[in-house]
Amino acid sequence: MEQRQITVLLEQAEVQRRLGNHRGATALAQRALTLDPDHARAHAALAAILLDARRLVGAGIEARAALALDADDRYIHRVAAAVLAAERKLHDAWAHCLIAIQGPAPAPEAFVLGAHVRELQGDRAHARELLHEALAIEAAHVGALTRLARLELADGARDEAARLIALALEADPADPSAHVAAGTIDLARGDAASAETHARFVLGLDATDHDALVLWAAIQARRSWLLGAWWRWNMWMAQRDDRRKIALLIAAFVVARIAIIVTDELGFAGVSRLLYIAWLGLCAYSWLAPALFRRMIARSLETVRLDPDF
Amino acid sequence: MTYQIADEPVETSLRSYVVRPSMPLLAIMLGGAWLAWPWFAFNAIAMGSPTRRKEIALCAAAFAGTAALGAIVIALFNAGLLPDGAPVRLAVLGVVTFKVAITYHISAVQSRTFHVYEYYGGRVRDPRRLLGAAYLLRGLVIGLVDHPLWEIIVAGAIPGWHAAPWGW
Repeated sequence: MEQRQITVLLEQAEVQRRLGNHRGATALAQRALTLDPDHARAHAALAAILLDARRLVGAGIEARAALALDADDRYIHRVAAAVLAAERKLHDAWAHCLIAIQGPAPAPEAFVLGAHVRELQGDRAHARELLHEALAIEAAHVGALTRLARLELADGARDEAARLIALALEADPADPSAHVAAGTIDLARGDAASAETHARFVLGLDATDHDALVLWAAIQARRSWLLGAWWRWNMWMAQRDDRRKIALLIAAFVVARIAIIVTDELGFAGVSRLLYIAWLGLCAYSWLAPALFRRMIARSLETVRLDPDF
Repeated sequence: MTYQIADEPVETSLRSYVVRPSMPLLAIMLGGAWLAWPWFAFNAIAMGSPTRRKEIALCAAAFAGTAALGAIVIALFNAGLLPDGAPVRLAVLGVVTFKVAITYHISAVQSRTFHVYEYYGGRVRDPRRLLGAAYLLRGLVIGLVDHPLWEIIVAGAIPGWHAAPWGW
């Protein structure tokens, strides 16, 4: 009886997760774990929900708990791989992907995830192979087509990327990831209006969709070069883990301070003063730009909220 | 009893005093470490952060580490091993770099909990007035004790233009 109740709760949680209702999904998975704290699939489901909500610390703890309870479940390995990939622990993520891919009748999602990890590791050729394997299992797999389209876009093949994403949208016209990818491709082709249409569609389904908000911000960033510069820097930094981010910022700080000290000690007081003012200006910009950018995004999102279809 | 997720903050009576972790980070620039690190520790407690022990330990380590490094620099200077001018300024820069690095690290650790706290609708206070007051008060705090070690420990990361070799 309890097992059936847990299964129903986890099914409901998955539905809520797909709808973008992370809080509702989390509450349902928590209820399942309250009934049985040693339920491996419930821990994995909660990890997947927390990952979607960008709660990496919680997702990591839940994924590890799931693995400790059942190390043979390939679905759990898939979730663990996704969490580790988000944590940029790519070597470990790939090890879990391999377990998820091996064995009889692997899920195409395992290959798509594997491709994501290999792409992050810089092996695009292998990522492409894995995506073709996923498409060999299911020819119209939206996830595989979308990721392949993104790979083509990264390689500069915009027309091929557009063709693939059209196939993905034909297979599922309401898939949020495919719409975000379509918007990204349109933006790369210089069609900001079409990109905005795709972002609006996804935000209409789920106002908190992370990737759609990123696309929306990228569209808005093109409207101001000063804020756009901050956005590009921010996105570049976002690809790094906390340690690398801190190391980069500290390195910039030290180089600026050494330049100020050395020029001053060498007798170039004017240059030193200019460097000091430039450094202070950069500090002020790095504090003001995110605030101004957030305000610009919030204002532009009002137009989505006021949309009668929202 | 509901299953508790490990990254969720616990309820506290100090929630109305929680600020964004970027504010104590800004405080080390504008005010100084005397405000930033105790503020981080208080914020961790007020938020009910599950990693508050780690955050408080990091704040304590920041004070202890800065004091140790500062003492080494002063000892080298007094022994004549560190000449006045660029060498001493660069040595102090090393201490400041340690201060900024550990502050960024505390901010990164606290931000993880803060995102969850904010996600569940936790109240966030705007501390602009406190930051302004800290900027005005920093000279007073630095001048409380006439010793370079004190200055090295409590000063912020933005120096005055004509600051003494120790002054940041």
